[in-house]
Amino acid sequence: MKALRRGLDLVVRPERAEALLWSRLRFDKRDDAREPLFDRYAPFARKLAVRVRAHSQPENRSDAEQWAYSGLLQAIDAFDPLRGAPFPAFAKPRIIGSVRDGLSRLGEMAAQSSAERRRRQERLRSLKSRAAEADGDPVERLGTIAAGLAIGLMLEGSGMIGGEDCADPGPSPYDSLAWRETQARLEVEIGRLPAPEATVLRQHYLHGLAFAQVADLMGLSRGRISQLHHSALAKLRLRLKGGLHR
Amino acid sequence: MMTQARLCDDGTFRELMSALEAGASDDIERTDRLIREFPDDGRLHFLRGSMLAGIGRSIEALPALRKAVELAPDLVIARFQLGFFLLTSGDAAEALSVWGHLALLEDGHYLRSFVAGLTHLIRDEFGDAVHYLREGIAANRDNPPLNRDMALIIDQVQKLGEASDPMASGDVSATSLLLGQFAPGRTTH
Repeated sequence: MKALRRGLDLVVRPERAEALLWSRLRFDKRDDAREPLFDRYAPFARKLAVRVRAHSQPENRSDAEQWAYSGLLQAIDAFDPLRGAPFPAFAKPRIIGSVRDGLSRLGEMAAQSSAERRRRQERLRSLKSRAAEADGDPVERLGTIAAGLAIGLMLEGSGMIGGEDCADPGPSPYDSLAWRETQARLEVEIGRLPAPEATVLRQHYLHGLAFAQVADLMGLSRGRISQLHHSALAKLRLRLKGGLHR
Repeated sequence: MMTQARLCDDGTFRELMSALEAGASDDIERTDRLIREFPDDGRLHFLRGSMLAGIGRSIEALPALRKAVELAPDLVIARFQLGFFLLTSGDAAEALSVWGHLALLEDGHYLRSFVAGLTHLIRDEFGDAVHYLREGIAANRDNPPLNRDMALIIDQVQKLGEASDPMASGDVSATSLLLGQFAPGRTTH
């Protein structure tokens, strides 16, 4: 559904909005400008990833996207907006180069550990390490981890965070409805999270960025991203607790 | 001891304006030369920022507009334009902050009405937005280009809800290049 237009949308000029972001990132050294720039150009990077993969072996789509995102992040950090060239022209060869490098580096070992699998392992580590720090019944801790992973799955499958290619896993019409309702609640709850936590979830589950890439994007350490991920899922779990067991 | 800022004399400034209005091809270079000579003259920085914004060099325009307001906080048109530039860049919060001083203008001042209208627009209070923008247009005798910009916004508001994309009709605003406001007698308030 097309979003309703707001008053501000009537006057915003996209090229100025982007210029403001570049100005903040490059001259005001504001790391918070990197994410909206990344979001703006992530579809461009994905398209290039698809195009490069089409001329190559049918490797894992997720891997190609990861390399494209790495190229995009490098391009964002290297771009000089005052030199006159538009960003897509500057970024395109870097993104394509990054995907091609990735494809050429991809040996058997890397193939066995796809980006998708690596992301899932990262999530599990994030949840396990925090759960292990807490005292309590091991079974309860296991339940906490499982709930965190379930929310992660749900985020991947939600309209807001997952994208168009996620199947609805509900086995019955009722379950389908319940699943969608919970996803809608998730969307609301994510909007209530502190900004850094919401950013981690959005970038990790929406764009499929690895924690290291989210760390680059936000100017934080990978460990901090793992903490934010865990804490965001823990908050969502508590807030959704009632709704999940109706 | 405070030193007095050395400002470009009115004659030289008018000469620059005439050259720009005549379409001088070296407009930015001329302005830059004067800025090197009179670095504390907010009007010159505003002029430079307006020209840069007008040719799409937004990244450079913003610091020039900021510098203008910093040097000449009472140059209300510069303050309004800086806020409007920020608004059209999507930063409504900073636009409102920049416009704060304009609340001190007398009742009925067109810039005060424009700010009120745009503030309502940001809040999606479209009826009030149109009311205040029209009020500002009626009061504004100094700056016709600004009236055209505000009229465009009123049109966009009225088209809201129609299927067509409001941005498709072209630039929302042409305010970036406001040489007209530098006519004699309008250089400060």
